[in-house]
Amino acid sequence: MLHAAVVRSPHAHARVRALDLSRAREAPGVRAVLAPGDCDALDETAEFEGRAVVAVAAETFGQARAAAELVEVEWEELEPLLDPEEAVRRGSLVGEPRRYERGGYERGLAEADAVVEAEYRTQTLNHNPLETHQCVCEWRGDGLDVYISTQYIWGVRDDVAAAFGLPPDKVRVICEYMGGGFGAKNGAGGYVTLAAELARRSGRPVRLALTRREENVGGGNRNATIQRVTAAAKADGTLTALGGEFICSLGWGGWLASTAGPMQLLHACENVRTVEYGAKLNLPAMAAFRAPGFVEGTWALECLLDKLAAELGLDPLELRRRNYANVDTMDGRPYSAKELLECYRRAEPHWERRHEVRARSDATWKRGVGLASQIWYGGGGPPSYAWVRVGSDGRANVVTAMQDIGTGTRTAMAQIAAEELGIRLERVQVQVGDSSRGPFASISGGSSTLPSMGPAVRAAAADAARQILEIAEQRFEREDGTLSLRGGEIVSPDGTTWPLEEITGLLEDGQILGKGARGPNPAGMRVLTFGVQVAEVAVDVETGEVVVERIYAVHDVGRVINPLGARSQIEGGIIQAMGHTFSEARLDDPHRGTVLTKTLDAYKLPTIADVPEIVCELIDKPDAQLTNLGSKGLGEPPIIPTAAAIANAIRDATGADVTSLPITREEILAALREARERERVGAPSA
Amino acid sequence: MGALGNGTRGLAGGTDLVPLLRDGLVAADRLVDLRRVIPSGIDGTAIGAGTTLAELEADPQIPDALREACRLAASPQLRNMGTIGGNLLQATRCWYWRLNYPCRLHGGDVCHAREGQHREHAIFANDYCASAHPSDVAAALLALDATVETTRAAGPLAGLYRLPDDHDRNLVDLGADELITRIHYERPEQSVYLKAMDRKRWAFALVGVAAARYDDGVRLGLAGVAPIPWRLASLDDLEQATPLPGTAYKLELARALGRRAIAAVGG
Ligand SMILES: Cc1cc2nc3c(=O)[nH]c(=O)nc-3n(C[C@H](O)[C@H](O)[C@H](O)COP(=O)(O)OP(=O)(O)OC[C@H]3O[C@@H](n4cnc5c(N)ncnc54)[C@H](O)[C@@H]3O)c2cc1C
Ligand code: SF4
Repeated sequence: MLHAAVVRSPHAHARVRALDLSRAREAPGVRAVLAPGDCDALDETAEFEGRAVVAVAAETFGQARAAAELVEVEWEELEPLLDPEEAVRRGSLVGEPRRYERGGYERGLAEADAVVEAEYRTQTLNHNPLETHQCVCEWRGDGLDVYISTQYIWGVRDDVAAAFGLPPDKVRVICEYMGGGFGAKNGAGGYVTLAAELARRSGRPVRLALTRREENVGGGNRNATIQRVTAAAKADGTLTALGGEFICSLGWGGWLASTAGPMQLLHACENVRTVEYGAKLNLPAMAAFRAPGFVEGTWALECLLDKLAAELGLDPLELRRRNYANVDTMDGRPYSAKELLECYRRAEPHWERRHEVRARSDATWKRGVGLASQIWYGGGGPPSYAWVRVGSDGRANVVTAMQDIGTGTRTAMAQIAAEELGIRLERVQVQVGDSSRGPFASISGGSSTLPSMGPAVRAAAADAARQILEIAEQRFEREDGTLSLRGGEIVSPDGTTWPLEEITGLLEDGQILGKGARGPNPAGMRVLTFGVQVAEVAVDVETGEVVVERIYAVHDVGRVINPLGARSQIEGGIIQAMGHTFSEARLDDPHRGTVLTKTLDAYKLPTIADVPEIVCELIDKPDAQLTNLGSKGLGEPPIIPTAAAIANAIRDATGADVTSLPITREEILAALREARERERVGAPSA
Repeated sequence: MGALGNGTRGLAGGTDLVPLLRDGLVAADRLVDLRRVIPSGIDGTAIGAGTTLAELEADPQIPDALREACRLAASPQLRNMGTIGGNLLQATRCWYWRLNYPCRLHGGDVCHAREGQHREHAIFANDYCASAHPSDVAAALLALDATVETTRAAGPLAGLYRLPDDHDRNLVDLGADELITRIHYERPEQSVYLKAMDRKRWAFALVGVAAARYDDGVRLGLAGVAPIPWRLASLDDLEQATPLPGTAYKLELARALGRRAIAAVGG
C-alpha cells in the first residue's frame, strides 16, 4: 500500500504562479504525483487555506511528506474576503438569501407590550473527530474498492462513481467501524478522489489520511453566525412577533443550514419574519455539524426568550408554556406526536431547584439556574432496506449496508430483530458496513439512522417471522395466523409451545430470508423531536470562571430502543456542547484568513474535568403515527439547547447578558461589567 | 556535555522538544538524553532539574505554590514525563510562532500577533514580541525567590530570562552547551498559585499568579502576562501594563487573582 501526502495552499486567497514538481517526482519512494489538470480535486487557484494543489503517493508516509515538501510552488497572493457583513454588502453569497414570513411582522410588533432585541454571535467550530478523514482506495480491474471513515456508505459510492464516470456498483464502499464524524463525513470529498486517482495511476492501493492540522482547516466546520433577533409579546407573554437577520459565515462553499429554523418552529407565534444570508468568504467551507443551524439558532432564540421573560417579569418556563404550539407553526399540520408539554412538566422540579441553588451563592460565587427548549427533525424517512436471514439453528443475521458511526446502531438493530423474532439478543448478529454485501441504507445524519433503518430491520424480521410461522402452521396443522414467536419458541393461543429450532431445523442448509423496507412517514403530519434542558451554574464574578454544576435533560424521541445507548447520546451531546459553550473556537488570522488553531492544544475540546453532573430522562412514548417502530433519532437533539440553558443560568445568577459563544473569560467579564453598570445606572437613588 | 550545541540538543522528558523537532521549529542532528546526566529528586529546598512535575506535585515538602503550579499544568501524562528544567525552558505557545510565521521571534521584522489574533498574549513588555510565557512553574518559582544552578553558574531565576530585541531573539539566557542542574527555592511561610484557563484542565494559563509570604513581605510571580515569567513588586505595578485590545481582560484577571492570592497567603 502507498501513502499519500497533499500540498495545500498556505494562503486564503492566492494563485499558483509557478509550479516545479521535478524534485518531488525524483524523491525516494515516490510512485505517483498529481498536479492541477490531472484531477478535479486539485486547483491552481486557492480560494481558501488548505486548497489542494499537488498530491503525492509514496511507499511510506514519511517519503510522501518529504516529497511534498520538495514541491516548489510560487504563489501570487490575492486579497481575501473575510468579513461576513462585507460579503453580504457585496453580494458574495452561497445561494440566494433565504426569506421567510408568516402573518404580519410589523403588526405583531405594533400589538406588543414589550419588544426585546439583541445581537448574538457564534464561533466557527471544528468537528475534530478522533479519527480524521481518511480512506484507502484500491482498483480491482475496472472496479474500485474504497475503505473509508464515513457516515454514508452509499453517498460515497455515488460521489466516487460520478467522479470517475463509473456505474455506481463498480464502486464498493466499506466502513466497518469509524472514529466519529459529527456531520463532517456525509460524503466522499476531494481527498477520496485524490486517493483513487493516485491508486489508478500507481496501480497500487493508496491510503490518504488527513493530518490533525489538515483536519482543523479543511475537515469541515460549524459556521460562525451573527444573529440580530427581535421578540415581541403581550403583557401576558403571548408572542406577537419574532424576527431575525442571520448572517452565516459559510466559507467558500457548503450550504445554508437553517439558523432561523428554531425561530420558525419552536414556539407558537403568528407573525414571523426571517432572512438568512450565506456569506461566501475566503475560508474553508462549512459542513454539517450535529444539528447544523439549530444549535446556533436555538442559542440566540432561547437567550432572547429569557430576556423577554425578564422584561415582562414572567417565569421563563411559564413564558414557554404560554406559547406552546399545538400544531405545526409553519403550516398548521398536526404533529405525529409531541410530548414537549410533558418535558416541561418533568423539568419543573429541576427548574424549582433554582431557589435553593441561588441561595447557595456567596460574595464571589453566584449561582443560578436556566433552561432552554429544543426542537429538531429526526423522523428519518425512506428509502432504506434490510434483510434478515434465519438459519436452521434458529439464529438470525441482519444484513444491511448501513454504517454504525459509533452510536450503537448495531446493537439497536439486533434488539429490534430479536424483539420481532422473539429470540434472545445474543442469537442475532448484525452485518453492516459494505455496499456490496447488503441493500441500500440511510445516511447517518439528521438523527435519521435509527428511525430510518430500525423500521426496515423490523419489517425484514417480521417477514422472516411470517415465513417461519407459515411453515409451523402447516407442520402443526394450525390455522393461518394463529401462531406467534416468543421467548425463542413458537407459541399457540392454547398454550402449546414448540422450540423455534423444531421448525428452522427442518431447513438444514436452507434459510428463511426476510426482506424489509422503510415505509413512508405519516402523510399530512409533521414529525419532530423535542426536549428541554435545565442548567445549574456557579459564576465567580471576579474572575469570570463558570462552573456548570448540573444539567438536567429531558427529551422526547418516541420509543427508546436502547436506554444505555440513548443516555450516551444525551451525555455526548451535552459534553460536546460544553466545548461549544466555553472553550472551542477556530481562530483565524483576521488579515490573512489563515487558521491559527490547528492542533488540539490550541483548539480546546472539553476535558472530563469540564463535564457537569448530567441527569437524563426520556419520555419514551412510541410515536404511534410513525412507522412500525415509533422511534425518532437522538443523535442531535441533546446538543441543541445546552448553550442557551447555560447562558440563561448565568443571567439568573449574575444578571449578566452573554451574547457571544464561546463564553470566554473576556466575554463574561465584559458582560458582568455591563450588568454592574446597568445596575448602577438603574438603581433607585437611595 | 561538551558535545551539546552544534546541532546536538539535550532531551529531558521530550514533551516540548519532540513536537518542536517534528514541526521543524528546532533542528537537531543528534539528541543527548539528559536524564542520565542531570540530577533529579528533591533534597530540602534543592530540586534536581530532572525532577518531573508529577514528582513535585506529590511531594508534601514542596511549597503549595509550586505543587499547585505543577498540578494545574498540562495533563497527567505530560507531567509524568515533563521535567522542571524542561518546563523552565519550554518554547512559547504563540500560535504564529508554532506555525512558523516569519515573525520577530523567528528573526523576522513583524509581530503577527500584535496586529492579529492575540487573546492569549501578553499585557507587559509586549511591544516587540507579544507572546505570553506559558510556564506555571516559573511563575511559582519567581514568587519563591528561586535561584538556578547551571553547569556554569548560579543566579536568580529571573536572570535566566531576557526580552528579545533586534540583536538577540532569544527569550532565555543560557549557553548552547549549558545545562540547568538544580533549582533552589526559599521556603516561604505560606504560598499559593492561582490559574485562570479556558477550560478546567490541560490548558495554558490565561493568567497565573503565584504569591509567597516571607518575613519581609509577599512576592508575586505571574505566568501568561509577558514574554517571560513576570515578577510584580506589588499589585500596583499592574497599572504599568500595556494590554493589547484583545488582552485587556487579562489585566482584570491578574487583579482579581492577585488580590485573592495575597489574601490567601495572609499578606
Ligand atoms: C499540550 C501541552 C500542555 C502543556 N501545558 C502546560 C501548562 O499548562 N503549564 C506549564 O507550565 N507547562 C505546560 N506544558 C509544558 C510542559 O510542562 C513542558 O513541556 C515540560 O515540563 C518540559 O519538560 P521536558 O522534560 O519534557 O522538556 P524537553 O521537551 O525534553 O525539553 C524542553 C527544552 O528544554 C531543554 N532542556 C531540558 N532540560 C534541560 C536542562 N536540564 N538544561 C538545559 N536544557 C534543558 C531541551 O533541550 C529543550 O530545548 C505543556 C506542554 C504540552 C505539550
Ligand atoms: S508574539 Fe512573538 S512569537 Fe508571536 S508573532 Fe509576535 S513576535 Fe512572533
